[in-house]
This record gives sequence, structure tokens and C-alpha cells, in this order.
Amino acid sequence: MGEEKDYSIKMRLVAFPFVNKKKKSSFLSTSFLTPHLFFLRPVPFSTKKTTTTTSSSSDLSRRKRRKKSPPSPPPSLEKWRSEKQQQIYSTKLVHALRELRISQPSPNPNGRAVREVADRALAVAARGRTLWSRAILSKAVKLKFRKHKRQRIANPALTQPVIATGSLRSKKQTVMRIKAKGLPAVQRKVKVLSRLVPGCRKQTLPVVLEETTDYIAAMEMQIRAMTALLSAVSSPTEHEEEGQTHVLVS
Amino acid sequence: KMSGRRSRSRQSSGISEDQINDLIIKLQQLLPELRNSRRSDKVSASRVLQETCNYIRNLHREVDDLSERLSELLANTDTAQAALIRSLLTQ
Repeated sequence: MGEEKDYSIKMRLVAFPFVNKKKKSSFLSTSFLTPHLFFLRPVPFSTKKTTTTTSSSSDLSRRKRRKKSPPSPPPSLEKWRSEKQQQIYSTKLVHALRELRISQPSPNPNGRAVREVADRALAVAARGRTLWSRAILSKAVKLKFRKHKRQRIANPALTQPVIATGSLRSKKQTVMRIKAKGLPAVQRKVKVLSRLVPGCRKQTLPVVLEETTDYIAAMEMQIRAMTALLSAVSSPTEHEEEGQTHVLVS
Repeated sequence: KMSGRRSRSRQSSGISEDQINDLIIKLQQLLPELRNSRRSDKVSASRVLQETCNYIRNLHREVDDLSERLSELLANTDTAQAALIRSLLTQ
């Protein structure tokens, strides 16, 4: 139980490197991440159903309170299709991209870095209600964490609670999964699918399916936003950009 | 009737076949390949899942490609900065 306390304290500490790194608009960047860092603290995101195993009492009461309110299904997909959501995401993305350039001036940010920024912004836009978004955010946090505190013993303490409980739960729920759709072909495909969607590797079939629908809708919005951004950015200076893109293509 | 069963299943963590079928149908509606097939000729769950995996891989590839293009833009400092600011203002 002491480990959970350490876990929560370390999570809080992680917020600080973020604050120090960015000079301007640090408020903006931390405001994205800190609410979600704290959200991640209580229970690792294996299932929505069982809560009693790992949380300390205060976290448990917080979890319980959340559960008591109508068992809310993940938000509808319409949210991802609204113009307003795309605008919000585009703005977040632009801010994050600018910060990326500021924080990495010398090696120009490559596609991988941009992809991570875009995914993180997307996860934030999801407001932490889905497994995949929380998984993306925690991935980013873990990476930063390891980079800054490599020597600390804290690392194994961080990852252990997450993995241990996850595998325990998956054993119990494998039985359910087989009962549900016994066909081995379906099982195989669900496994592949669960690996494609972040945060769903050890989840039951219905959870994977729900996460998938939300994830697909979110990614489609991400693509629309990034495409719009690219065309907005490249068309005004088309005569210049054209020259450059030709060089890049050839 | 159906929604009643669904909410009950959620709380007792029992998973009904119907619940899963509903989710699969919902998923089918999202896939461009399978969206238009009529409900009479039911597409198999296996097919839906396969198409879903393919679709997600395609989406990932698109995002990677867009990210790559955006990173190239970012590399061109002045034009990119100005353009990014402009795009923010024109929204």
C-alpha cells in the first residue's frame, strides 16, 4: 500500500519537468496534462468494473462516487464529428506543435515526434473518459519520467502495480471472453485489434469493441484536422511551398 | 427490453451475446467498406473485426503520413511560423 502512495507522489513530481521546460505558455501545456496526470493516479486503467483491489481508501471513495452516478457509457461518437470539437483539437494541435518547435530547435522535429504530439493532443481532447486516451497520456508520462529520473528505483514501483493487477484481471475475464464468442477466428482478430488500439491489450471483448468505436471516430477527426491544418498552412504561401516540396519529393 | 438487459449486464459484469452483437453492428456502421451492406445479409463478426483492423491500420498510416508532412513544414522556420499563426487567426 505504501507503493501506491509513492506512485501518487511521483506522478505529482512529473508535472514539474513540464513546467520548467517550457518558457512561454507553460500554463497552457500543463493545463492539458496535469488534470489527466491526477486522473491517472487512482487505479490503473485495466477495467471499469472492479475497483476494490488496488486503490487506497480515499481513491476508492472517489472511484465509488464516480461509479454511483449512472453507469455512463463512453460519450457518443457525435462529439468527434462536430465542427466545434475539430476546432478545439486544431487549436490544441497548433499550440502543441509550436511548443514542439520551441523545445526542439536544433534537430528538426521528425514525423514521429509530430505524430506523438498529435496523438497526445487527441487524447487530451477525449477528456480522459476512454481507455485509449488514458493509455496514450500515460505512455507520454512514462517516457518523460524515465528520461528525467533514470537512476531512481521508482520506475519498477511505477510499472509493477499496473502490470500485476492487469494480468490478474485478464485471467478472470478470459473465461468470459470465451463464453461470449467462442470462435477461434474471432478470438484471434480481437487480440490483433486489442493490440492496435492503445490501452486495450488485456481487455474483454465488449471493452475492446467500445474503445475501438471511439478510437476510430477520434482518429478520423484527427485526420480531418491535420489535413485542414496542412492545407491552411501550405496554400497561402503556395508559390514558396511548392518549390520546397518539389525539392523534397524529387 | 434490450436497453434494460444492457444496463443490467453492465453492472453484473455478465456479457450477453446480444450485447456483443450490438457492438459489432455499431462497429460495422463505422467501417467505410461495410457500412452499406443491408442488415438482411449479416456480415460475420470475424469479417467486421478483420475490416476494423485493416481500417485502423490505414488510419494510422494516414496520420503518420500527415505527421511527416507537418514535420517538414515545421522545418521551414519562418514560413511555417507565419503560416501557423495565420491559420490560427483565420479560424
